[in-house]
Order: sequence, then C-alpha cells, then structure tokens
Amino acid sequence: MFHYEKKLQFPVKIATPNPKLAAFIISQYGGPDGELGASMRYLSQRYAMPYAEAKGLLTDIGTEELGHMEMVAAIVHQLTRNLSDEEVRANPSFAPYFVDHTTGVYPTAASGFPWSAGSIQSTGDVIADLTEDLAADEAMVEVQHDRKPLRTLDCWWDKPFPAAMV
Amino acid sequence: MFMENNTGSRSAAAQNGAQTTPASCPEPNGTLPSCAGLAVPYVPFQQNNPQKYAQTEALSNGTLFPGLNLPFRLAVEGSTLPATPLAELQALEFVVLELNLYLDTHRDDTEAFALFKQFSAMEKAAKAAYESKYGPITKETAAAADSYQWLSDPWPWNFAQNEVK
Repeated sequence: MFHYEKKLQFPVKIATPNPKLAAFIISQYGGPDGELGASMRYLSQRYAMPYAEAKGLLTDIGTEELGHMEMVAAIVHQLTRNLSDEEVRANPSFAPYFVDHTTGVYPTAASGFPWSAGSIQSTGDVIADLTEDLAADEAMVEVQHDRKPLRTLDCWWDKPFPAAMV
Repeated sequence: MFMENNTGSRSAAAQNGAQTTPASCPEPNGTLPSCAGLAVPYVPFQQNNPQKYAQTEALSNGTLFPGLNLPFRLAVEGSTLPATPLAELQALEFVVLELNLYLDTHRDDTEAFALFKQFSAMEKAAKAAYESKYGPITKETAAAADSYQWLSDPWPWNFAQNEVK
C-alpha cells in the first residue's frame, strides 16, 4: 500500500507563469515517456519478477515515480496560475489544452493524446520487461535533455531540473 | 545497451572471459559479466562502495552517485536549492531513497547499509523538527496533534510551501 507525505520530493517554486512552457511540460506528466507511464510500467511489471532485487527495485522506483508525477503536476500548475485572457489568447500552443481543460492538470501528451497504457508494456517476461524499462528510461532522458523546447527549462527555476532525477 | 564510444575494452574482456576482478573499473565505468548469454542486452553493473555526494549536492544533482550523474549530450550543472528547512529535509530524504535503491541491488555493501541507517535516523529527526514547526506532513503526526490540522495550508503544489521561511 501507499502512504501520502504532504510535501514534494524536490522544491518547485515558479514565480512567473508561462503557459507556452506548460504546453510542453505536460508531456512529462501524461505523455508516452512521462512519469505516470513510468510508475505504471514499474508497478505493473514487478509481479512477474522472480528475483528479490528486481521486485525491490521496481517497487521502490515505481513509488518514486509517483512522487515525480506530483512534482511535474506542480510545475504545470504553477506555470498556469493566474493567467490573463490575453496570456491564453497569445499562446497558440497552450490554447487547445485550455479549451479542454482550462488550467486543470490533465494527464495528456503534448500532442493532445490522453495518457494511455498503450505506451507501456508488461509482458510477464523478465528480460523483455527490463529491456523495455531501459528503452523507456533512455527515452525520458532524451525528452528532458535533448529536445529543443525543453532547454528553456532555465526559465522556470534558476537552474535546470536535476539531470539524473527522471 | 552499451554506449558505443566506451565499450571497446570491456566488451573484448567480456568476450574472452578475462574480466575476473569486478572492483578494478574506474568510477564512471561498471563491470559486465565475464560470460554472457548471446543476444541478451546487458548494462554495466554499479560496483560496491561507489563515490557519494553530500546530501544537498545529491538532491541538486538528482543522484547520490557521481558515477550515475550522466550529462548525456547536454552538460547540466546541479540546481541551486533554496536554503529552507523543507529543502534540508528533502535532501536527507533523497539520500535515504537513493541508498534504498542502491541496496536493492547491493545488499552486501555493509558500509552503504550503515549510511542508510544513519541517514534514516537523521531524516526521522529532521522530519519531526519540521512538523513541530510547520504542521503535519504525515497522517501519523496529524493524529498526534490536539486538533485536526491536515487541511492547513500550504499544500505541496502551492507556491507558498517553497517560499523561504
């Protein structure tokens, strides 16, 4: 079972809203390589693991990913606080999200596709599952570090998000 | 699963079974099995007693282990943490969590286990001190109070929780 602790794993404090950036970051919440997928992937795969090391790792990392989900959701929330009508209208990249969800936090990919278990796998096979985990983890690093729009992460915290906390 | 640019010597050793001393790799490099099944992916194993960051540096870099702080193609410096009691608690908790994950795959590392116990005790004390000043962050502490304060602000996603106190 899981117990909630009323705090984030890492401080999130964004003074200046930025809906354009929120439209990118939301993918780290509900996109194919996001934190929700990571958590569901690990917590679902652990039942087929025959080794104590793998049972422990998937349980503990899957739990940590739930905390990452909460951090990313907090980022999206703070990036979209107190928006003016003009700020929404002037951001064509955020406007479609706003039409459906206003400033509610919704698990969706930046492309608009809602979070889907179709982007994860749980095969019941140790090697296949762990290989999928390696691929997913690398994809997440790619998204966070190499895709251009996210390099503007400097804007929302005085330094970029920790490199290894994915 | 290997990074192409640094596997030459290791994969050669793995192929002829010559690699028998797992503790001899430099810090950013792990070991590979001396005999490996064909067509199965492997990742280099992290070795016992790896280098570790201090707690604040660990949280700001997102890992306790310099060997796992991989900048990939974009060099990233650690974040600057606010100097708040909450950030200090978060740093302690992060070390406990990282040691927990490390011990999942290195249960015989007695030095790491001693650190795990030590930081877990420090985290417990820091959490109690934080909660006595700023209110409950666990149900257990909420239940020990004189009145029901679980609903009091700030909630974690509110900007205010991370303001300097």
